Amino acid sequence: MKNFSLMRISIWVYLALFFSYLLGPLVIMSVTAFNSPGFPRAAPWECLTFEWFSALFQDERILNGIKNSILVGVGTVTLSVSMGLAGALMLTQIWPKLRATYYTIIIAPILIPGVVIGISTLVFWDRVNRMFGLDADSFLSNGLFLTIIGQSTFIASYCMLVLVARLQRYDTGLTEAALDLGATHAQAFRKVLLPFMRPAIASAAVLAFLASFENYNTTTFTFGEYPTLTIELAQKVRYGITPAISALAFIIVLLTVFAALFNEAHIRRKELVAAARKSATVEELGSGNFRLPGFLSSNTAAVVLVVVAMMTIAVVGSATVYSPQQCIADVKEQKRMETEVRIQELRQRRADEAARRAAEQADQAEQEPAVEAAPKPSNNSGFGGVFAPGALQDDGADASEEEPEKPGNDSGFGSVFDPNALQSE
Amino acid sequence: MPQFLKEYFNRNGIGLGSVMLGLVLFWTVGLIIMPQLSMLDFSFRPNLPPPEIGGPKDLYTLENYKYLIFGPEGGSQDYNAVDLRVFYRTLIAAVLVTIFNLMLCYPIAYYLAQTKGNHIRVLALMLIIPYWINEILRAFALRIIFGETGILNNVLVGMGVFDTPFDFIRNDIALYAGLGYAYILLMIFPIYNVIESLDRNQIEAARDMGASWPRIHWRVVIPYAKPGISSGCTMVFMLSAGALAAPQILGGPSSLWFTQLIYQQFNDNSDWPQGAAYAVVLLVTCILLVLALMRLFKVNMGDIGK
Amino acid sequence: MSAGVGVNLEDLWIKFGDFVAVREANVNINGGDFFSFLGPSGCGKTTILRAVSGFLEPSQGNVLIGGNNMKGIGPNKRPTALIFQNLALFPLMKVWENITFSMEIKGASAKERRKRADELLDMIALTGQGDKLPAELSGGQKQRVAIARALCAEPDVLLLDEPLSALDLKLRQHMRSELREIQKRVGITFIYITHDQGEALTMSDNIAVMRAGVIDQIGDGKTIYNDPMTPFAASFVGENNVFRGRVKQVSGNEVMVTTNRSGDLMARVANGTEGRLKEGDEAMLFIRPEAFSLAPVGTQGDHFVTAQVTKEEFEGNTFNIFMEGDGGKEIKVALPNLGQSFESHQGEAMTLEYQVRNAVALPAGVLATE
Repeated sequence: MKNFSLMRISIWVYLALFFSYLLGPLVIMSVTAFNSPGFPRAAPWECLTFEWFSALFQDERILNGIKNSILVGVGTVTLSVSMGLAGALMLTQIWPKLRATYYTIIIAPILIPGVVIGISTLVFWDRVNRMFGLDADSFLSNGLFLTIIGQSTFIASYCMLVLVARLQRYDTGLTEAALDLGATHAQAFRKVLLPFMRPAIASAAVLAFLASFENYNTTTFTFGEYPTLTIELAQKVRYGITPAISALAFIIVLLTVFAALFNEAHIRRKELVAAARKSATVEELGSGNFRLPGFLSSNTAAVVLVVVAMMTIAVVGSATVYSPQQCIADVKEQKRMETEVRIQELRQRRADEAARRAAEQADQAEQEPAVEAAPKPSNNSGFGGVFAPGALQDDGADASEEEPEKPGNDSGFGSVFDPNALQSE
Repeated sequence: MPQFLKEYFNRNGIGLGSVMLGLVLFWTVGLIIMPQLSMLDFSFRPNLPPPEIGGPKDLYTLENYKYLIFGPEGGSQDYNAVDLRVFYRTLIAAVLVTIFNLMLCYPIAYYLAQTKGNHIRVLALMLIIPYWINEILRAFALRIIFGETGILNNVLVGMGVFDTPFDFIRNDIALYAGLGYAYILLMIFPIYNVIESLDRNQIEAARDMGASWPRIHWRVVIPYAKPGISSGCTMVFMLSAGALAAPQILGGPSSLWFTQLIYQQFNDNSDWPQGAAYAVVLLVTCILLVLALMRLFKVNMGDIGK
Repeated sequence: MSAGVGVNLEDLWIKFGDFVAVREANVNINGGDFFSFLGPSGCGKTTILRAVSGFLEPSQGNVLIGGNNMKGIGPNKRPTALIFQNLALFPLMKVWENITFSMEIKGASAKERRKRADELLDMIALTGQGDKLPAELSGGQKQRVAIARALCAEPDVLLLDEPLSALDLKLRQHMRSELREIQKRVGITFIYITHDQGEALTMSDNIAVMRAGVIDQIGDGKTIYNDPMTPFAASFVGENNVFRGRVKQVSGNEVMVTTNRSGDLMARVANGTEGRLKEGDEAMLFIRPEAFSLAPVGTQGDHFVTAQVTKEEFEGNTFNIFMEGDGGKEIKVALPNLGQSFESHQGEAMTLEYQVRNAVALPAGVLATE
C-alpha cells in the first residue's frame, strides 16, 4: 500500500517535471512578451507592456513573411493532400509484389533530413529549368514553386499516413455499390469515398499546413524571393532577439490553444449529439426537433474555450487603454539612480587608484555599468510598477535605450524599495 | 495495355485513375526519386559557373568527397580535421539526443497508453500543443531560458549552485535540450500507439506471477513496444542529425552541426556540388546507421510510420 | 416495372492468373425468375455474380442481359443492381438518401427523391424511418433498406450476394419469405447467391449447383433434390447417405450395386443420367435420411440395410438415428415423430427399409465436404 502511493507520487512528480520541460519554455516566452526590457526575459519583471505587439505589427518583414507562409501553406496543403490521397489509394490496390518497395519510397521523405530534401529539390529543378532552356527567373526556379514542391515532398508522406489509416477502414464495396447504382467513377469518388475520408482529409490538411508553416530546414534552401515567416523569424533570432518575437510566439500559442480547445469542444459536442440521436424516437428524428444538448452542457472543453476567449477579449480591451509610460519612466529613474550609485562607487575606486590607471582602462570601466545596468536590479525592482495606473496611450518610449541621462544625483536605495514613493516623485 | 493497367483503369475509371496515377508518379518520381538522383549526380561534378555547365570541363570527379576527408588540395593538414570532427560529433550528439529522448519519453508514453481517465486527454492535448508551435520559436524559447541572463541562470545563481552564470549555450547544453525538446512528440507517439494495443492482462499476469516492475517492462512491455520504440528512435535520430534550426539558434559559436556546413557550402560559399556531396554523405550515413540498427533489433521498414 | 429480362451466360470462363474461378458456364436464366447459384464458399458463384454486374471482365465467353451482350459495359451502365453480402449501405447518408442514391446520380430533385423514398420505405415496412442513419437500424432493417436502394434504381435484374448470411436464424427465415414476396411483387429477375441449400430450395424457381468453378446441375428445387445428377449435388443439397460400391447389374432404369458394407442394394438411375452407369463401374448410391423406415431386424433383401446403431437424437419433429456407415461416415435416419413410442437401440443392430424409387445411383465422384 505504501509502495503504491510512493509510486503514484513519483509518477506525478515525473509528469510535472516532464510537462514543465514541455510547456515551461512556452510560458516563459509568452511572459517575456509583456515585459518591457529590450532583451526578452521573464525576470526581473519590470513593466507590463503591450508595445512589443505593436512593434510586431509594424514589422514589414514579419507581415510579409506571414503572407508568404500562407501562400506556401495553401499550395502545400493542396498539393500534399492530393498526392497523399492518391498515394494512399494506390497503396491499397498496388500489385502485392510492388507494395513493400512502393511503401518504402513514399515513406522515405519522412526520414530524409529536410536539408537534403531542400538541396535535392533545388538542384533538380535548377537542372530541369536549364534543360528547358528557361531563364533563372522562370516559374520553375521561383521560390514559391520550389518551396511548395520541396515541402510537399515530405508533407505528402505525413498526409498519406493519416489518410491511409482511415482508408483501411473503408469498405471498397461502398464504391462498388455506388457504381452499381449508376454512378460514374468520379461521382462515386465525390459522393461516397470523399465524404468518408473528410475527417481524415481535414486532419491531414491541418497537419500539412502546420508542417508547412513551421518548416525551416527545407525552405531555407528553396525560398528565393519568398521568405516565409519561419525564415524571417530564424534570421531575426540568429541576429539578435527581441520581445517582439515573444509577442508573435504568444499569439501563436494562444491561437493553438484556441484551436485545440475548439477541436475538443467540437468532438465532445458531436459525441453528445450522437448520443441524443440514439435516444431520440423515430417521430422526433423525423420532425427534426429532438432535444439537442446545449453547446456548453457537459462539455468542459467548450467551457474552457469560452473562458479563455473572454479572458483574451478582456486583455486586448485593457491593452488599448493601458499605457506603461509611467512604469517605464519609473524603472528608468530607478535604474538611473542605481547606475549613479555604481558610478559613485567607481569614482571612489577610481580616485583611490587614480595614479595607476591608464586613460583607456578608465573608458572601459565607464562602459561597464551601462552594459550591466539591465540585469542588475533583479533584487529590488518594484512589482508595484505593474499596477501603476497610466492614462497616456502614447507609447513611443523605447525601453532598450536605458542609458542614464543625468548623472550626479547621489540618492540612496531607500526610495527604490518603495514604488509608491517613486511614483510620487 | 498490360493487364494490370487495364484492371486498374477498370477499377478506378479512366479519368480518376489517370489523375491518381499522375499524382503518384509526380510524387514518387518527380519529387522523391529524381531529385535524390540528381543531387547524387551533382555531387560528383566540379563547381562551375552556369555557362560552363555541360561544357568540356563538366566531368565526373570525386573532388567533393575527397574534400571532406582530406581538406583542400595542398592544405597544411593530412585530413580535413575540422569538417570530419563536426561530422562525427553531429552523429554522436544525435545518438545521445535519441537516447535521452527515449528515456524521457518511454515512461510518459507508457503512462498515457495504459492509464484511463479524462486527464489523459488533457495531457495528450498539452503534449500536442507545443508541437504546433514553430520550430524556430521553440528554439527561441529555450534560448531565452538558457541565456546568460536567462531564467535558469537566475534561479541557479540565486540558489547558489553557481557563483557566476553558466554558459549553457557555449557548452551545447542548450542545443541538446532544444533538440530533445523538438522531437518529444515524435518519440512518444509511436511508442504510445504500440503500447496502447498491449493487452493489460499480460501485464497483470506478469505481476501476478510476481515479476517486479522493471522486469515486467524488460520482459513484456519493451519487447512488445519494439516496433514503436525503433520507429520513434529512427525518426528522432534522423531529424536530430538533420536539424538545422536548433543548431543555428542554440548552438555555441564554436561548435557547428554538420547541416550547418552544408548550409554554408550552399549559401555562403555558393559551392553547390560540394554541399550536395556533404548532403549525400549525411543521408547515406544516417540511412546506413538506421538500417544497421534495424537489423540489430530485428525491425522491419514497414513498422516505421505506424 | 420492366419485367422479364433474361440473363444468359455463354461459355463463360473467368481466370485469375493460373487459377480458373469459373469454367465453361452455360446458364440461361428466364426473365422474372428467382434463380439461385448454390455452392460452398470458394466455388466461384460470387465471381459469376461480379461478372454479371460488371465488376469483372470474363476471360472468355459472354454475359447477355435481355439479349444484349454486356462486353465492355461497366457496372454503372448495366441494368443490374447488386445487393452486397455486407449490404454496403453508405454510412454517412441517411436512410432515405441511401435509398434514392441512384436518383441523386441522375440529378433528381430532393423533393422527388424524398417522395420515392417514402414509397419504398412503405413497401419495406420502415415507414417514417428515413431520417435515421444506417448505423441506427437493426440488421433486418438494414437488409430491407439495401433491397429498397437496389430496387430504387429500377434494375431489370437484381443480384443478391448472400444477403442473409449475417442475420440470425429466425430473421433469416423470415427474410426468405419476404424476399420471395418482394420478387413476386416487382416481377423482375432475381439472381441469388447462397451456400445455404435451405434458402435456395425455399425461394428459387431454378437453382444452379456449383462446385470448384463448374456448374454441376441446373434445375428447379424438386429436380435437384430428387434427381441429383452428380454425387456433389446429391450430397450438397439436403442431407444424404452415401453407399459406395460397384455396379453389379443394370436393368432399364434400375441398377444393382454391390456396396462395400451393406451387400447388394437396388437403386434407380436419376433422370438425365440414363445410360451413364455400366456394369462394373464404380458407383455411389444415395438415400436420404427420411426415405428409410424400420424393418424387422435381420431382414435380407436388395432394399434393406442392416447396421449397428451408434447414436440417437430427438429433434422434436424427428427421431434421428445414426448407424455405422460406409467410409467412416455414419448413416443417418430420420423417423418422423408421429407420437409412437421409441426405445433406445444404441449398440444394437437395426434393419432399415427403403423404396427403390427413393434411392439414386450415380457414377462415383466428388462429395461435398461438410
